[in-house]
Parts: sequence; C-alpha cells; structure tokens
Amino acid sequence: MTRRTHAALAAALAATLTLGLGACKNDKSDSGGDSAAAGRTQAPGAASGTIVGGTPVKGGTLTVLSNQDFAHLDPARNWTMPNMDFGIRLLYRTLVTFKAEPGAAGSEIVPDLATDLGRSSDGGKTWTFTLKDGVKYEDGTPIKAADVKYNVERSFAADLTGGPDYAQQYLAGGENYKGPLNGEHLASIETPDDRTVVFHLKRPVAEFSYTATLPTFAPVPQSQDKGTQYDLRPFSSGPYKIETYDRGKQLVLVRNTNWDQSTDTVRKAYPDKIVVVQGLKGGQVDDRIIASEGADASAVEWANLRPESIPKVLPKPDVKSRLIAEQQGCTDMLYPNTSKAPFDDPKVREALTYAVDRDAQVTAYGGPAMADVATSYLPPALTGGTKQDTLKIAPTGDPEKAKQLLKEAGKTDLKVSLTVSSGDKTRAEALQQSLAKVGIQVTITTADPSVYYDTVGDTKNAPDLAILGWCPDYPSGATFLPMVFDGRTIKEKGNQGNVEQFRDQATSDRIDQINAMSDVGEANKAWLQLGDDLLKKAPTVPMLWQRRPLLAGTNVAGAFGHPVWTGQWDFATIGLKDPAKSQG
Amino acid sequence: MILYLGRRLLGAAGILLAICAITFTIFYLLPADPAVAACGKTCSPERVAEVKVAMGLDKPVWEQFATYVTGIFAGRDYGSGPSATHCGFPCLGYSYEYSLPVWDLLTDRLPVSVSLAIGAAVLWLLLGLGAGVTSALRKGGVTDKTLMVLSVGAASLPVYFTSIMLIWGVVRTAGLLPYPAYHNFTDNPVEWASNLLLPWVALALLYAAMYARQSRNSMIEAMAEPYIRTARAKGLPAGTVAVKHGLRAGMTPILTIFGMDLGGLLAGAVITESIFGLPGVGRLFYDALVRSDQPVILGVTLLAAAFIVAANLLVDLLYAYVDPRVRY
Repeated sequence: MTRRTHAALAAALAATLTLGLGACKNDKSDSGGDSAAAGRTQAPGAASGTIVGGTPVKGGTLTVLSNQDFAHLDPARNWTMPNMDFGIRLLYRTLVTFKAEPGAAGSEIVPDLATDLGRSSDGGKTWTFTLKDGVKYEDGTPIKAADVKYNVERSFAADLTGGPDYAQQYLAGGENYKGPLNGEHLASIETPDDRTVVFHLKRPVAEFSYTATLPTFAPVPQSQDKGTQYDLRPFSSGPYKIETYDRGKQLVLVRNTNWDQSTDTVRKAYPDKIVVVQGLKGGQVDDRIIASEGADASAVEWANLRPESIPKVLPKPDVKSRLIAEQQGCTDMLYPNTSKAPFDDPKVREALTYAVDRDAQVTAYGGPAMADVATSYLPPALTGGTKQDTLKIAPTGDPEKAKQLLKEAGKTDLKVSLTVSSGDKTRAEALQQSLAKVGIQVTITTADPSVYYDTVGDTKNAPDLAILGWCPDYPSGATFLPMVFDGRTIKEKGNQGNVEQFRDQATSDRIDQINAMSDVGEANKAWLQLGDDLLKKAPTVPMLWQRRPLLAGTNVAGAFGHPVWTGQWDFATIGLKDPAKSQG
Repeated sequence: MILYLGRRLLGAAGILLAICAITFTIFYLLPADPAVAACGKTCSPERVAEVKVAMGLDKPVWEQFATYVTGIFAGRDYGSGPSATHCGFPCLGYSYEYSLPVWDLLTDRLPVSVSLAIGAAVLWLLLGLGAGVTSALRKGGVTDKTLMVLSVGAASLPVYFTSIMLIWGVVRTAGLLPYPAYHNFTDNPVEWASNLLLPWVALALLYAAMYARQSRNSMIEAMAEPYIRTARAKGLPAGTVAVKHGLRAGMTPILTIFGMDLGGLLAGAVITESIFGLPGVGRLFYDALVRSDQPVILGVTLLAAAFIVAANLLVDLLYAYVDPRVRY
C-alpha cells in the first residue's frame, strides 16, 4: 500500500505546524541545523521489539486516543495498515494470522480460523483451508466456510471500495466477476462442506498463506451483510464486538462472549472494554499521555508521536520507558521520472543515488527516533530482519562520485522539478541542498496532501522528482517489487505504485518468473536478489525506513509495535497493569 | 412586509441554488477523481470505471446536478441488493468516507458548532459592546485609550494563537480546566459550559476586539446627532440618552456584521474546532477536505450559505425593530 494514510497524518501535522509554529518552521535553515546536532546525540527512544509495561491483568477499560476515524472497518474494504491491525486483532479473525510477538517473530504466520496454514496442490494453484471446530460469531452461530467465500466475493463488488485486491488478482475467473450483491457467486472458490474452503488461482501463488492474513479472508455471513452500510457495524468473529460507533467521535468495543479463547492462540483479549476517542488534536494526545493523569494512564495513542513532542519524552526516563518506535516496514523513496530526460538515463539516476544525503533526510523527518537511513528497497522486515546494504554508500551521500557519474553521462548543470506533499517541505529543502552540491538545481513545488497522489500519479504532467513510499501488505517481496517496479502496472492517471514510470522488460520478466515459483523460501531469496539487482538500475532512491513512535500511559501493559502493521500497537496483547485504575 | 419577505426568500433560494451549482462545477473540474480515491491503490482502469458507475459519477455533470437538487426535496435511492438504502428529505447525498447520509452527519455535528457560536457570540457582544460604549462615552479619556489599545492588541492575535496559548496556559500549565471535549448541554450543563469556556474565550476575544472598535465609532457618531442634544435638553437622564437614543441608533451597523459573523460561525469554526478537538461542523469540513469527501464538503458549504443568508434576512427584519425609520 502507498503512504496515503501517512499523507492524511502529514496533512494534520502540516496544519499544526503552519498554525502553531509558522514562523519558526519556515525559517528552517538555521533551526534545522540545531535539531540535527541534537538528534544525533540522542539515541532512538526505544529499540525494535520493546514491550512496555510487562504482562497485563485481565479487565478494565483501555482507551485509545486518536486524531482520526477509521477509513474502513468492513473486512472487505479495510486496507490501511493500522486499521487492518485493529480490525483483525479485535473484531474479525482471518484464515491465517501473524504471531502476536514483537520483532522478527511477529512476521511469522500461524493458523487462526483455519487448522493449518493452508494446503497447496496443483503446483501452488489450488489452496485448501479447513476451519477449526467450534468457532462462532457474536450471536453464537457457527462460522461457516461459505462465509469466508462470501466475504472474498464481496471484495469484488464495485460499491465496496478501498479493500485489498489480491483476491481479484489471484482468483481464477475473477476478471468478469462483479461481486455477490446481485446474487452471483464465484466458481473458483469451492466450499465442499461447512468447514472446508478451496481457492482455485489463476497462477501458482507460493505465499498464499500470507495472502490469507488479509481481512479479505475474514468471514462475513450473508444474512448480516448490509453492503456499504456494513462498514458501520461489522459482525464480530473476534474477541470484541461493537457496542456503539459514532463516526468521527467514538467507538466502543465490549467483549464478544461467544469468542472462545481455546480456539485462538494469538489474541489475549485482556481489557473488558476498549474505547477509541476520535477527532482529538495530535499534540494534545501526546501531552495527555505524557502526563498520564486519571483515565489517560490507561490510554495509548493511535497516531504517531509528533516530532515536536519528542523533546518532552526522550530526556525523561520514566516517559521514555513508555515509548515504542518500531520500524514501519515501509520504504520511503525518491522517485525520479524515468520516462523523460534527464532521469531516463540510468547514469544520471545512479548519480542521484550517490548524491542524496540520507542522513539529512532522517534529520528533516524528525531525527533517529522517527526514522532510519534506508539502504535497500526491501525493508528489514522483508529481508529476515537484517539490513541489506549492497551499495555501501555513506549515509551522508558521496557527492564526488555523483559528480563523476554526471560528468560521464555528459549532464552537468541540471535543472529539475520536485513536487512534495506539503508536510514534506523540510525534507524537500534538505534534498535541494544535497543535490545542489553535485550541480543539480531543484525547484520545489508543494501540493496539498489530499491531491498529492493525483498530482504525481498523472503520468503526462508528473514532476521530475517526487517523494513517496511503499508499504508491503504482508512480509513478502511479492507485495513490494511488482507494485513499484513492474512497468505493466503504470496507469496514465492515478498511477500509484510505479510512480517513477520504470519500464524494464528484464524486470517484468523476472517478476513473472518469481511469481511462478512454488517454493516460498526460494521465491523470497529471488525477491531479495531482484531488489539488489534493481538498485543498480536505480529506478528510485531508497531514503528512509520510518519508525512509528507511539506512547502508552503509565497503566498500560503488554504493549509493543507489530512489525507487520507498520509498527502500530498489537491490539491482540495490549492490556492494563491495574484494571481497577481505569475508568469504565 | 409579507411581499418583502416572499421576495427575500425567493432570492435566498436562488442564491443557494447558485452556490450549489458553482460548488458542483468546481468539483467536476478538479483533477482529483473520487472514484480513484475510493477504489484504492492498485486499482485497474476497468475497476475504476465500475466504481464510477457505482458512485453515479459516470453521468454528465448537469444530470448529476439535477439528481442532487431533486434529491434534496424528493429523496434518493442508493445502491442495490443488500446495499440499498433510501436517503429521505432533505437528502444531501451520502458521505464517501463515512457511508452515512450527509444530512445526518450535519445534524449530528451541528449542536457542537451552535453551542460554540452562541456562547462565543454572547461573550463577544457583552465584551465588545461594553468596551465600545464605555469608550465612546469617555471619548479621549484614559479608559477609552486603554480599551482601544487592548482591542487593537486582541484583534491582531489570530485565533489559533490565542487558542494554543489558552490550552498551554490554562490546561497544560495551570491545570484549571480539562482538555476540551464536548458534552451535551442536556446531559450536564456545567460540563458543557466548562469544556466550552476556552474555545468561547478564544473566539470571543477576536470578535470582541473588532466589535469594540466598531461600536465605539458608531456610538460616537450617534451621540453627535442633533436628537441627542435635544434629548439632553429635555432633561432626560444621561443613561436613558445613551442607551435608548444613542445605542439604539448606533446598533444598526453592528447588527449587520453580527448577522454575517454569527451565520458563518454557526456552520462551524474550522480552526477553533480543530485545535480544541471539538467534533463540530467545522471539524467535519476539515476532515472532508483532507479526504476529498465531496458530498460532505458540498453539504457544509450549503449549510454555511444557508445560515449566512438566513442571518442576513433576520438582520434586515430586525432593522425595522431597532431603527424606527426603517419600514418594509
């Protein structure tokens, strides 16, 4: 997925900054330098894998303080990272899910509704799942295989927009299917009995067990379907059900008494009640959780800690111990427009790779508590937790090498345009400075976050450079490299993954070859290799691996950032130290 | 009077229709395609086309506009199969983001914005008119000068600055009030008022300063009229002269701007609501802008226009009451 959700956050952030600190912010050349020095001496607030607060005690009310509403909670439409985490951990179960563990272990999958990770046959083109015995919905009725089929079918419906489209890409006969709302069903999903569901795919998909972690593979009984209105109240198969949902204001979850702990190895369901308060101002949420008074002690924040709140957290050990900062698992990149001069020349793009001062990008983004320098396309979560670094360029860049490459290409004194989302203006200016050192003159244009993707995704009028990112939907190169580097995915308008318009036959062919592999381990190795090979062709420049700094109240326990869901709290295990201290 | 009212109401309807048409056209011309936004990330052009049909965006703009306008009065049916819903009068469409009728969203958020606007208006009228009249009656004196310097200061503070300072000072540092959250007036009037106090003050300070300067000027003008001299000569007490003869005549221009200000605020104070985290119409509007939720943006625009038109009409009718010379 793209960083669209990040764009929304950035919009809110930009608003605060322009409102609150307008003058200081624009004056960044000086103040930026100061915070850079401060940033380097401070270590990140928390390393990957930190658990805040020990093991929780059952009971109490956990509060989530949020600046926004959920985009979608309907499992057929839920495809923004933190929202997927929330839905899957609390409201609905999927065939397969991720372990509730911090660090690399969190990327491992375990059966959830199914008894195993799925059995493939026909060379990886047919996948069979068997449902566990005794799994029930909130009204006590059993979860049936047909309900899983039904929700996968729903993801094809044109009015149920926004959800993952893997089912549409993978399932045989999906091209002409329009969803079940008018009574038609998809023949390539079979349910021979109430506990067995069989998926027939167009091509072998080695990592289909991972695909089955998506909310598309959560059950929705046809009798409960209300089409677009289902978004307001998904029918629960998870440990909680919706009591009230006042959109944009408040969501209250209470226990689903028909959820049976013995059928679920992942979810712990510690709190009795979970209240999400929405529409709060981001900075105020930070302040409230830092202070942790009254009910706020039993609260966590939904959206990232603001960069401006970091100085209030890091110097205080008691507050810092409540901070997590898991890597989001997305790679933030500089996208040159490879369809036209000067970046149609691989030499010039290579020069760009050497010219970018990624250290300055980290600083401009808020320092090491907020991001790490990226050294490859695939983030560490996709490379087995270790950092790939084949080019070994210094984090501050190598201007000499860049100049030499530009000379070899015969292109000196370049003038290029860069369009960024208004929240990324500081970063654009840092980029402008580092490229100026090698003789590339950059003109910055900012676009409102709400139209940014449309602006840079309009292939005819796209700028020379853009800053965007890509987040894999599950830990597999298959949800990253094809979306960003396969020339066949380019769309004339609304182009979202391959924004750099990179058309390379060899890459497309290789993607097809890897997609056809039936062994997951082999495919993963091949993706890694492809990532490294691509780096030499420099279609984009990896810049940052952003972290998700989140703060918990003093009474919160079992809290850590899940590596798969962009470092959001794992809601499967979060709870309270002392339930009596929370307010119902 | 009735004829005048009829004419004005007809005019108001015309203005609203025009605003509706203009907003509609602007959305149609914008590069952002709601179908693409709704569809999601790796959406194919064929799928976008299907989504367009499902959202009714494949029709020509005039047809969409006609459906929208008739929908307001006659209601509309949305979706098919299990999605089918009826959006009854007054149907302002369905929010892309919330899957709820825009009208329901507006009426749900309106109490917050109305509470904010009315409370702030009472405060700023008291403060502004009080300061203005006092200044005018003591023209040139120390009180006048102090009040006017203060009002220049207050008027030059942007509302986001005062809001942030109030939160910083009163809530964060002194801890006198909680972070504002909206409580229904009917549930708990004390909580309602104490939570809204800061936003009221933030808004009122700005407006009060402007009203103080306005009312001082019109009051001074009114007090220089020959009929004031006559009233004084007849031996009326100074208070009666100032209030009954001076203030009443000086009120007319104040009433005009008050109508506009209150009308605009009723449909949401975007900045104030956002900073204080109040779930009002302004906040709804801001969220809709960020997420390109066009039906909501259109709905709020219409609501704001309706309030301003209505407030203007009301003010014009009040003229006749305040100023005996005005007759319709």
